[in-house]
Amino acid sequence: MPLIKYLRKTYTSFTTRIYDVPPRMFAFLSLIMLSLLPFMGIPITTLQVLIRINFMATLAVSWDFLVRSGQASLGHALFFGVGAYGTALLFKYLGYPPFITIPLSVLICVGIALLIGFSCLRVKGPYLAIVTFAFPLVLTGVVKYFPELGKDAGIKNLPRIFPTLAYTERWLAEYYLTFALMAISAIILYKIAYSKTGAIFVAILDDELATKACGINVSKYRIMAFIISGLFAGLAGAIAAHSDLFMRRASPIYLSAQYSLIPILVSVLGGMATIYGPLFGTYIYTLIDSFILKEMLNIDDWTRSLIFVSIVLVLLIKWPRGIGRTIVEKLEDLEEPREIEEILKEKGKKG
Amino acid sequence: MHMLEVEKLKKSFGGLVAVNNVSFIVDEGEIVGIIGPNGAGKTTLFNLITGFLKPDSGRILLRGEDITGLPPYKIANKGLARTFQIVRPFRHLPTIANVLVALQSHRGKRRIEWIKTPERKAMEMLEDVGLSDMALEPAENLSHGDLKRLEIARAMALEPEIILLDEPFGGLNPVETEYMIKSLQRIHLDGHTLVIVEHKLHALMKLVKRVLVMHNGEVIAEGAPEEIAKNKKVIEVYLGKAI
Repeated sequence: MPLIKYLRKTYTSFTTRIYDVPPRMFAFLSLIMLSLLPFMGIPITTLQVLIRINFMATLAVSWDFLVRSGQASLGHALFFGVGAYGTALLFKYLGYPPFITIPLSVLICVGIALLIGFSCLRVKGPYLAIVTFAFPLVLTGVVKYFPELGKDAGIKNLPRIFPTLAYTERWLAEYYLTFALMAISAIILYKIAYSKTGAIFVAILDDELATKACGINVSKYRIMAFIISGLFAGLAGAIAAHSDLFMRRASPIYLSAQYSLIPILVSVLGGMATIYGPLFGTYIYTLIDSFILKEMLNIDDWTRSLIFVSIVLVLLIKWPRGIGRTIVEKLEDLEEPREIEEILKEKGKKG
Repeated sequence: MHMLEVEKLKKSFGGLVAVNNVSFIVDEGEIVGIIGPNGAGKTTLFNLITGFLKPDSGRILLRGEDITGLPPYKIANKGLARTFQIVRPFRHLPTIANVLVALQSHRGKRRIEWIKTPERKAMEMLEDVGLSDMALEPAENLSHGDLKRLEIARAMALEPEIILLDEPFGGLNPVETEYMIKSLQRIHLDGHTLVIVEHKLHALMKLVKRVLVMHNGEVIAEGAPEEIAKNKKVIEVYLGKAI
């Protein structure tokens, strides 16, 4: 019941304010456009790239949430990997269907995030980055050592989430599933990040000492940020392990550096610590890298990364605060400034 | 029972004894000033009391309760707030959210009357220090004087019983100093106990009834401002020995 009430309230506030809040309008339009994209007659290969975007964007948004609490991790692939291996192991040894293994493996991720968040309490800044960098490397070693974990090949032949669908529909279903994953994670993380609790995370990012002086238990909130972030990254990993895009298996690839580093790249590109920035970043990244350079110009891998890096450099010099952030701030300028009283009244109604 | 009791507090960094056997008492409703030349150990003393540093020996009692060695956030929640010498705002947050952070601590939450939303309460705190016009402005756009006042508002959001102010007049122009004195006087009238570390003796003397003088980590004199100004030891410390 409270959920329905909340949804209705969100809906009314959304519809009444959508026309005078340009960023909201923009988000709404892109949501509609992206959900209609598969009907525009695009080939399966393009659809696969879009599915990849959805996974990457989920990872990047969850990484960005962690950064917003002042903890830049270099090993976010860990949660992606744990999510995938969790669901794979639960299937292999207990034979549960995906609908049970995915939530369970998300729970495992939450546990791991709790442990890592706790062990990282004493380090921050670059030291935290280096410590977190080690975690996926360690897990890769563990995974490659034990035959029970499938060694290099990983655990294969996991069941599909929608087993009965035909080839084309399967990809469509996967697109919508991952799109929902991305959209819902982004919306939830955005809501948390821009709430009152979210203000505490930014306070920790800005000045940990001053936050302590404000009577805030900084350790609790730092671990909380790790858990929330790990939950969504783990969910992405668990769904990826059952997807055709990742060949329906859990392998050491999930733990490779690209899943730690590309989220960082796209976040910087789109605007770090904004939550919506990585979404922009992922689409820009894929648009340039996969569509323009690879498909249209047919450039080989090595030259492509060289060209791509130079393009990124130019973009970052032009928009150092991130492209997404610049766009959204431009949109916000169009908005009529509101009186503080009006905002207070609106908040008063909610509380 | 005393509001704050510091007993034989000692802290050394390597060979340097920053705070050496400092003992003093602050009673409820007092305004106490702590002065001393640079490097006298005033800020270290504050850091020890608020839990940012662990003392080597000695005890700190807040309303008779031992708070020595507790983490800073717990001490803040017990009603001992502090401000910083160099302003430490949350630069990426709007001014109002700076206060909202403190209002979400255990103590801050407790003090929100049921009819008020935290936002409204935060707005009141800003009005008290005259920052309500800047509520939605990011804190990084505020001037130094405004940030000093924001520090006060943030500390007040904890509804503390005692506030430790580290150089509240530092870097303020005469008009802002006058405003700050008035704000502090009002806070005092509301029943809060204040401990102020300050270099601007002129401003400080208007506020306090009792002054402690620190030098090389020790308290060398204590008394009313007029007495202190005549104290031979104090003059020696500040101006050097007469030849």
